[in-house]
Amino acid sequence: MKKFLAENELARDERFVRTKIEDRIFDPRGPKIALRNTGPARMGVDRPAAGERSRSLMHGIFVGEIQALEGAGRTCFDFDDDSAPFQLKLDMARQCWDESRHCEISVKLGDHMGTEIGEYTESTFLFAAACNPDPVLRLCGVNRALEGLAIDVFNSMKDFGDESGDPILEFCEDWMLADEVTHVKMGSDWLRRLTEKDPERRERALEFQRTVDAIFNLGGFRGEDDENPVQLARNFRRLAGFTDEENDSLAKLARQSTEEARDMAAMATAALDASAQGGGS
Amino acid sequence: MGRVTVSPDPFTLIAYDAAEIAAIVADAAAAAGVEPGVDIDLEVDEELFAPLIGHTSDVVDGRVKLWISGGNLEDNRRPRHFSAEQSRRDFTIALLRAKDRLSEDFASAPPDGQLSRGERAAWDVYAVGRGFRLGLAVRRQAILYEFRLQHGFTDVADAAFERLWQADRMNWEGIREICKETGAADRGDSKIPVDLLRQK
Repeated sequence: MKKFLAENELARDERFVRTKIEDRIFDPRGPKIALRNTGPARMGVDRPAAGERSRSLMHGIFVGEIQALEGAGRTCFDFDDDSAPFQLKLDMARQCWDESRHCEISVKLGDHMGTEIGEYTESTFLFAAACNPDPVLRLCGVNRALEGLAIDVFNSMKDFGDESGDPILEFCEDWMLADEVTHVKMGSDWLRRLTEKDPERRERALEFQRTVDAIFNLGGFRGEDDENPVQLARNFRRLAGFTDEENDSLAKLARQSTEEARDMAAMATAALDASAQGGGS
Repeated sequence: MGRVTVSPDPFTLIAYDAAEIAAIVADAAAAAGVEPGVDIDLEVDEELFAPLIGHTSDVVDGRVKLWISGGNLEDNRRPRHFSAEQSRRDFTIALLRAKDRLSEDFASAPPDGQLSRGERAAWDVYAVGRGFRLGLAVRRQAILYEFRLQHGFTDVADAAFERLWQADRMNWEGIREICKETGAADRGDSKIPVDLLRQK
């Protein structure tokens, strides 16, 4: 079996349609919308298109779970026992079991909300974080950055279930959230153990994590304000082994991403308007 | 059939064709049973994309005034591509509500921008249920979820949904009655306008 599978080689059946993140980034409507008031991005039953937004996010969670399963599975297989101890692979195998269950739960939540598998497109940038050839960097990308994002997303969805009075969503998200805290904890523990005598490697891994975190902030997708759909779940992150300093740093990074996205939207809109008026070069 | 006008024409941000959309609207109006001779003005907000979807149906001086998010016309599986099937579905539903407004049954209903979220959700179920019986490819569970978000995840709400879905005839008072029954009428007002997406 092939080792180090590239993101474009992931197996999917005909229901899935893959899209590139660039397609959305370069959509000329994006900057226009970024400057408009479309209501609080934070999930709530009174925000515009609340149902469609939660269905779309739920589908995103579902494909994210598939990619997390694939990422943890690849870590069990890609490395020999010298670079990744057998005990680490056992943890990853346990994580595969959890992620498989999350996939099934997410499909059922999709049914509950009236969504079909493949109704929305899939972007595989989450799996891209699981392609690093260094197991420590990969663990930081997947178990701390990606699974950390999962903590934030599940906590936001759980709160939405609570607010909307939807017990199915609330409890399912709560159970999955508990697993995600464990997965991040595994990442934090293994990072410490594998880099105990190699501070330089640890710093490289943490730098990679920060890069992945910056990507996952997705121009304001995650943060601590109303304009961020997914809220930073500080308490659960603390339980998972993130220090307060790390949480503060992530919050700062998220604010920067939001501001950068706003500035870029303003610039892109100005360029589009100038072009429409024939003033573009 | 009355005249159908579509704006913008041409579209500048996305490759939608106003003439094609007008033809679909005319077909949808016939399917929904809108009286021939009624003029329809359609405004598409081409800046909006999925999941920022929504549509409104009002009647002003006997003319149907439709507004719809560009996201409603977009193929979910192929972003930035027009979906004729999806458009036909959403226009038929919007026009079923417009037809309601043209009748005495909904004469006292306020404009869409002044409906509560509960009222709108209930009216949508009544329209989508009829659309389903007209052969539209609608997803009942998705509509049930929308309804539950505004009326609660309860047996009372589900029973009200069933009545709305099955109804071939309903009036504005019936919609309001259902909102009282489920408790949606008692929900406090939100600071977020119900037609916020329409406001630029």
